[in-house]
Amino acid sequence: MPPAIMDGPDALVNYLLVAGVLFACGIFAMISRRNAVGILMGVELILNAAGINFVAFSRFGHTKLNGQHLDGQIFTLFIIVLAAAEAVVALALVLSVFQTHKTIALDEVDEMKQ
Amino acid sequence: MPSVATLVFWFIVLLTVGSSVLVVTARNILHAAFSLCLTFLGVAGLYIFLHADFVAAVQLIVYVGGILVLIMFAVMFSSNVVEDTAAGGRTTRLGTIAGGITALLVFAAIVQLTFKLRAPLEAANQFGGEAYVPTASVVAGQTGLGHLLMGPYLLPFEFVSVLLLAALIGAVVIVRKELT
Repeated sequence: MPPAIMDGPDALVNYLLVAGVLFACGIFAMISRRNAVGILMGVELILNAAGINFVAFSRFGHTKLNGQHLDGQIFTLFIIVLAAAEAVVALALVLSVFQTHKTIALDEVDEMKQ
Repeated sequence: MPSVATLVFWFIVLLTVGSSVLVVTARNILHAAFSLCLTFLGVAGLYIFLHADFVAAVQLIVYVGGILVLIMFAVMFSSNVVEDTAAGGRTTRLGTIAGGITALLVFAAIVQLTFKLRAPLEAANQFGGEAYVPTASVVAGQTGLGHLLMGPYLLPFEFVSVLLLAALIGAVVIVRKELT
């Protein structure tokens, strides 16, 4: 039997590693970006990584419900909706900050009023 | 010789990983936004490989059709894309080093954990290895999702709809011009 990493789409490990790369990239963006929109992109990457993990475990997991395993997919749907709500509010905040400070570089936005 | 599906899978994996690295390393924030589009497409492809067709469709509609458009709007509203982001898109050397070290540590931890749990993960593989049956299982899967959403997950479903309304109103209130 070949190692699981070579099994392509039929190996859980591959999905976990891709999700790990996305998660690490999101962490890197959140720490290193100055641009608020760049940080938001990092958050979206992290949420995508979590979604991949949920769907992968629901496909390869042990527990079955009604002959299928769909709970992970439900969780990913909720994650997508929450990401949309979060993006809307965060981008509204970014535009509001830009209106008052004329920049969205977060290390220059260090006072609460103009 | 690997099958076509395997080749497509590795192509999608490469697309996802490469574009997500490009998202965090691009100097121009608009290039990062375009790479993020490719990442979202790749993740949708992974969902299809995981037999989660409905989730893949929702991923395309909400992320590529909604969130990405919002992000591009915000980028174009809030900066002089050409000159400003080249200097302001990336941080100082200190931030890059700190972010790189943290990201590498996190990734190393994930890889180590994945390979430490390899035996149970391969045992889990035995349960999900059935072949892909296009029509019947797809319809059954979406029906199952609907039953779950309207059954055990009804309360979170309703909470999410209230949350969306709150986010909508909140966004309008935040960006509204003050009436003076």
